Amino acid sequence: MKGTVLKVENLAVRYVTEDGIVQAVNGIDISVEKGSTLGLVGETGAGKTTTALSVLRLIPDPPGEVVSGKIELDGKALMELPESKMEKIRGGLVSMIFQDPMTALNPVLKVGDQIAEAIKIHQQLSQDKALQKAREMLEMVGIPGARMNEYPHQFSGGMKQRVVIAIALSCSPKLLIADEPTTALDVTIQAQVLELMKELKEKMDMAMIMITHDLGVVAEVCDNVAIMYAGRIVEQGTLEEIFNNTKHPYTEGLFLSIPNIDDRKAELKPIRGLMSDPFNLPPGCSFCDRCDYAMDKCATEKPEKVHFSPDHFVECHLYPDNKEFQLKGGKG
Amino acid sequence: MSDRTLSRKMIPATKKRSQALDVWKRLRKSNSAIAGLILIFIFLCLAVFAPLIADYENDALKMNIIERLQSPGADHWFGTDEMGRDIFARIVYGTRISLFVGVISVSIALTLGGTLGAIAGYYGGKIDNIIMRTLDVLLAIPTILLAITIVAALGASILNLMIAVGISNIPGFARVVRAAVLSIKDQEFIEAARAIGSRDHTIILKHVLPNSMAPIIVFATLKVASAIMATASLSFIGLGIQPPTPEWGSMLAGGRAYIRDNMYIVLYPGLAIVLTVLSLNLIGDGLRDALDPKLK
Repeated sequence: MKGTVLKVENLAVRYVTEDGIVQAVNGIDISVEKGSTLGLVGETGAGKTTTALSVLRLIPDPPGEVVSGKIELDGKALMELPESKMEKIRGGLVSMIFQDPMTALNPVLKVGDQIAEAIKIHQQLSQDKALQKAREMLEMVGIPGARMNEYPHQFSGGMKQRVVIAIALSCSPKLLIADEPTTALDVTIQAQVLELMKELKEKMDMAMIMITHDLGVVAEVCDNVAIMYAGRIVEQGTLEEIFNNTKHPYTEGLFLSIPNIDDRKAELKPIRGLMSDPFNLPPGCSFCDRCDYAMDKCATEKPEKVHFSPDHFVECHLYPDNKEFQLKGGKG
Repeated sequence: MSDRTLSRKMIPATKKRSQALDVWKRLRKSNSAIAGLILIFIFLCLAVFAPLIADYENDALKMNIIERLQSPGADHWFGTDEMGRDIFARIVYGTRISLFVGVISVSIALTLGGTLGAIAGYYGGKIDNIIMRTLDVLLAIPTILLAITIVAALGASILNLMIAVGISNIPGFARVVRAAVLSIKDQEFIEAARAIGSRDHTIILKHVLPNSMAPIIVFATLKVASAIMATASLSFIGLGIQPPTPEWGSMLAGGRAYIRDNMYIVLYPGLAIVLTVLSLNLIGDGLRDALDPKLK
């Protein structure tokens, strides 16, 4: 490892709405090493996107509000920077790939101009040079440079996502945040786009945060995995540790919800219930209503972090007393 | 690498087509819009080539009592008015004023109202409230009444007329632009633009406004028509272009005493107003259909 690119400490974000306060992110710590990929996994509403947006300081305010937390990107404390400095960092040091390529591009601008826009902002190049660079970027993501004068509607979904990737990478960011980059694409295109992202990540030696709810994608590209539930990271570890030494009942539930390719007749075992209401999180473990292992104290006490290795920890009441506890249906 | 070379082959060779060409193709299908375009083109030609068609000093301005109140004929196509001036020549020169005032006053309204509306829509919250409530106060006063007040305060001249009609149209433009901006600003590509570090004014000018052009273009076209009406109305009551400058509204005002025996004095300027306004409305309606993405 060659040093930490992103370090997030005790980040908490909430949305203040007329109906109440949504506690979207409740004290999470993340660190991403140079050149590595962190997978941020969780179901809809777990706070994955909010976490990503707070790194860019793009939480819509109001209603969003960062309650606490330190974010350090490449040695810079982002929370203290003025907005004008942030504009330099967005797209320069860190950039983001959005979920839906259909809507992430401006329909009335040529794709070349859209790529050149980022380049012009951050590298102070002339229009001609920026367009030249845009053409190179387009070719790097596998689209012929001649197509830079076309409009987004002339591209297919996978092509558009490639353009979005080209925009995100055009200023060689240190950190790339990919917010479910393949969710809106069909499976074959997903594979192509993932392959491309992996290849470019290695080529440009970037760190990456991959937000997804697809464990297949995680297995494909990530080095480390953080499982998020109701705004907290409930389990974090290396890919190997999470997949083969699953500790948290929620992580286990996620794995059990995936169809088994060897036993196609096996019934899926989905996690019962719905995620707890973010307006009104329970005092204890947020997952306890849905957990098969729930004990009395789960409802009342917040679980502490239990470390299994320097990288691997879990927040669950099952372990502090009995580190050897094995989940029933889990793998490994 | 293999899948990348494959994907290059899969790219179809699409033909370049611009959005303007698309819109024109759809606009061409509408007969009424084409009729409007032809009419407005004729009026534009009249305005541009006016000096070739008639002599301003001798035909349109100079009194010629001997030839007063002549019926339309070979010498004077539309007849002469109570001062013996050629009505056709006056209408031709009147076109210049009407179109000019219409376009300029709408430009004033579009620039000021559009800026205010874009700022209100993009930033929202308090700024939105302050701007829009102030404009609502303006909107509460009938447009023509507001224009009359402004001209009365500033004095009657072409410039003040344009300012008056322009200012009275600001609230309408602000509302249209604000609505268009609101529908665009929450789209993901705006967030994406922010995520690459674009500034607010770049985002508004480059990403928000070009995407909200369609309703603005339609509204502006229709408003040019109503600005021409407003100009004619103001001139009719003596607050706009002053005689002897040929203007359609003041020609109506001057000729209305002779309407019983020489109705062509008011007929032709009236027709000119009706046809210009009608053609602009037809174009506006056609554009609305051609630009509506739902019909694509």
